[in-house]
Amino acid sequence: MVITPVHYIVVPLLAAFAIPLLTKIYKDAARLIPGIVLFYNIIVSFNLLKYVNEHGIISETIAGWQAPWGINLVITPFTGFLASMVSVLGFIIWLYGYRFKRTLKGGLVKYYEILQMMMIAGSIGVIITGDLFNMFVFIEIVGISAYSLTAFYRGRDGAEASFKYLLIGSFASTFLLLGILIIYTQTGTLNMAQIAERMHEVPQHMKIIALIFFLISLGIEAEMFPLNGWAPDAYSQAPSPTSATFAAVVSIAGVYALIRVLFTLFDVPVNNYLMIMGFVTMLVAEIAAISQKDLKRMLAYSSIGQVGLVLIAFGIGSKLAVFGALFLMLNHAVIKSLLFMTGSYFIYNTDNKKLKSLNGIHKRLPLVSFFFSLGALAIVGFPPFAGFWSKFYILIAAGDARHVYLIVGVLGVTIIELTYYLRIVGRIYFAKEEEEPASHKPSINAIIAMSALALFILVIGVYPDLIMQPLNQAADALLNKTHYINQILSLN
Amino acid sequence: MLKKLFVFILLFTIGYFLVNSLKSIPLGANRVGSIDEPTTVSGYYLNKSPNALKVANSITAVVVNFRGFDTLGEVTVLFLAATGLASILYRKEDEEEEEKHTHSLSKRLNLPSSSLVRTGAKILFPLILLLGIYVFIHGHLTPGGGFQGGAIIATGFLLMLVSYKGFTTNHNVMVWLESLAGLGFVGVGLYGLFAYGSFLQNTGWTGNLNDLISGGFIPLIYIFIGIKVATELTNVLDTLLNIKPRKK
Amino acid sequence: MIDFHTIFEQYKEIISIAVYGTAVFLIIIGLYAVLLKKHLVKIVIGLSIMDAGIHLLFVAVGYISGGTAPIFSPGNENAANTMVDPVPQALVLTAIVIGFAVTALALSLVIRLYKHHHTANIDQLKSLKW
Repeated sequence: MVITPVHYIVVPLLAAFAIPLLTKIYKDAARLIPGIVLFYNIIVSFNLLKYVNEHGIISETIAGWQAPWGINLVITPFTGFLASMVSVLGFIIWLYGYRFKRTLKGGLVKYYEILQMMMIAGSIGVIITGDLFNMFVFIEIVGISAYSLTAFYRGRDGAEASFKYLLIGSFASTFLLLGILIIYTQTGTLNMAQIAERMHEVPQHMKIIALIFFLISLGIEAEMFPLNGWAPDAYSQAPSPTSATFAAVVSIAGVYALIRVLFTLFDVPVNNYLMIMGFVTMLVAEIAAISQKDLKRMLAYSSIGQVGLVLIAFGIGSKLAVFGALFLMLNHAVIKSLLFMTGSYFIYNTDNKKLKSLNGIHKRLPLVSFFFSLGALAIVGFPPFAGFWSKFYILIAAGDARHVYLIVGVLGVTIIELTYYLRIVGRIYFAKEEEEPASHKPSINAIIAMSALALFILVIGVYPDLIMQPLNQAADALLNKTHYINQILSLN
Repeated sequence: MLKKLFVFILLFTIGYFLVNSLKSIPLGANRVGSIDEPTTVSGYYLNKSPNALKVANSITAVVVNFRGFDTLGEVTVLFLAATGLASILYRKEDEEEEEKHTHSLSKRLNLPSSSLVRTGAKILFPLILLLGIYVFIHGHLTPGGGFQGGAIIATGFLLMLVSYKGFTTNHNVMVWLESLAGLGFVGVGLYGLFAYGSFLQNTGWTGNLNDLISGGFIPLIYIFIGIKVATELTNVLDTLLNIKPRKK
Repeated sequence: MIDFHTIFEQYKEIISIAVYGTAVFLIIIGLYAVLLKKHLVKIVIGLSIMDAGIHLLFVAVGYISGGTAPIFSPGNENAANTMVDPVPQALVLTAIVIGFAVTALALSLVIRLYKHHHTANIDQLKSLKW
């Protein structure tokens, strides 16, 4: 059997439709099947990446209609890289949450697993689709699962966070539809490559209006300031594996959608806008993070800050900057999921989410504390961890582009970041212990998941060359718009 | 007050942008272009729908075949919404124990419906089901299709749910129908992938335009969609209507 | 046989203003309800109104002067040139279903919130801050 990109979507869908039936036969099916499916997605990823390396861009047609006419799924080194990253992290998050879900009541496990799996599959769909309206459908799949999962604990705050998320998400889809409407009437097509090809025929003022609609809608998905009010609430109220998924998968898909539309579809330069908005996003989020008293909210704000830095790097726009941005996306996804995973073990053991209760917790949870500190140092950018290299490349790119104020700004924000992360690490190791011993030791599957992420951080930190080549190709693939258009429209 | 002012400014700006952009999209202008040598997707679809697919309703051709992947995603969205709804409104076991004594359905409506309503509902229910089935079976020939037919069937169940106290849908049957319809849709898609090399690809055999059995897999897929939409909407209505009244 | 093409051309301005105006007006009303209304159910209704406006807009831009429904009924097999654009209608079908899904989910959240807070006033729900 030949592995094609459509397997990414179809296999999870088959599983999602079959899980309600299979749970009637075997009770644990709901927990096992998503793992098998997500593992299969990793196999798909590596096969496709290998194929792309040897033969160039894959553009798979759906329903047998060639690229501009039908919907197509595109694997370039760029989308392939992101899709592989999302699949691997999705599997690790499933592994992490495998035993944890035992605490859920019978029927709920099935719902949880379906929603969680489809959120990851939908994010992959956003990344690999080559059709604008199809992207909207996948964004809605991610959105609906994310709203439901945010309210999953059914407490009052969960429902409120979810309602807020749903309202803002509906704004996003409204404006996205308006943008698609304008683009469709002006170009007569929905295929992204063909839209990009015809974009120069569109009158300037229509282009700008469509661009504004896309910026509003996809800015919400990408957690860009000032449209990110939903993120801290949703991150902090969702179940822990879901918070990790939000950081590692959903935000990556959101940034991808924004970047794809801005870089490929439109020929309007938005670099300055991206840099300014990215910087404001980062600054506001990090300042908000320092004043948080709740661990998960603090991590959520830190995530938004990282997304801001990613947007800055994309805004600089040079090859090196895009390379750094992709590296940072990878690091952010890996490190932030590690932080959410370890952070949630702290929360289990202290029965509240407040930072104060972390005092001296390393005696009770030595391994988890170690992983958390590792993640905290890595995300701030201490050498020799993975986070250092991404920040380093972005700063070099900023220097190359003579954006001195950006370097100063980013370094300044890094100091804020350093302050609050070191404060927590200090609490964990040096503050006096107040509470009784731990009752929840991490389960073996969670330790494996966390160790895998920690190992990645260390290995990439010491030996970044391992990841250089795919990142380089991904950056090339994103920047080379003509190649993308030609490959999809003519060679099919 | 300040918030109101801000909102009005925002609404005015959005309205201004919308009106401004719509000025450049004249109503009624032909944006499809040539049908025989299409440059836009709509021209291509109008060309291929009667000639290659033999589907009379070209919207159905677009929904089920040309952009069938969107429709699969759309069915998934509905499925996820039903799942999410069930998880959000899931009742804990202890609550359910308590509930066994007080029949939840009788609390749903305090007043029993009159015999006129009940008799009328009983007569209308099969007719509504029949209409729904008709609409999705003829989705490729006449206006309508799986979503519309499914919605019609769900209104039939809604009628029964509100007019009969003890009416419940058989949960097991619903789960089976829903899952099998979903699997059927994906299965037809996979058949296209394995037999013709492209997911959701139609068979070569398409029959004659305007025959009931024409268009290859398209009517089959619309039947699956109809069943899935009907069961999912009914599930949603059932879940929403069966919420226990709040304890004082 | 009524000639819709002539009628449309004759009253084009008025029809445009009526159709586009209604659509934009619906979107604005929906946004207004979502942003300023206090009752949760009214906010959800606002979302639906907003969706309705966009759906109307989609169908409107697909209209072609004098066009018929894009269905090749018997005796109408070669009428592709006089048909309206089928794609926006297909997109609207998708958008309607997605809008329905979001509305259903929103209503279930409203029920949840009402159970916890015993009120549907959004000002009372302030356990989370921005």
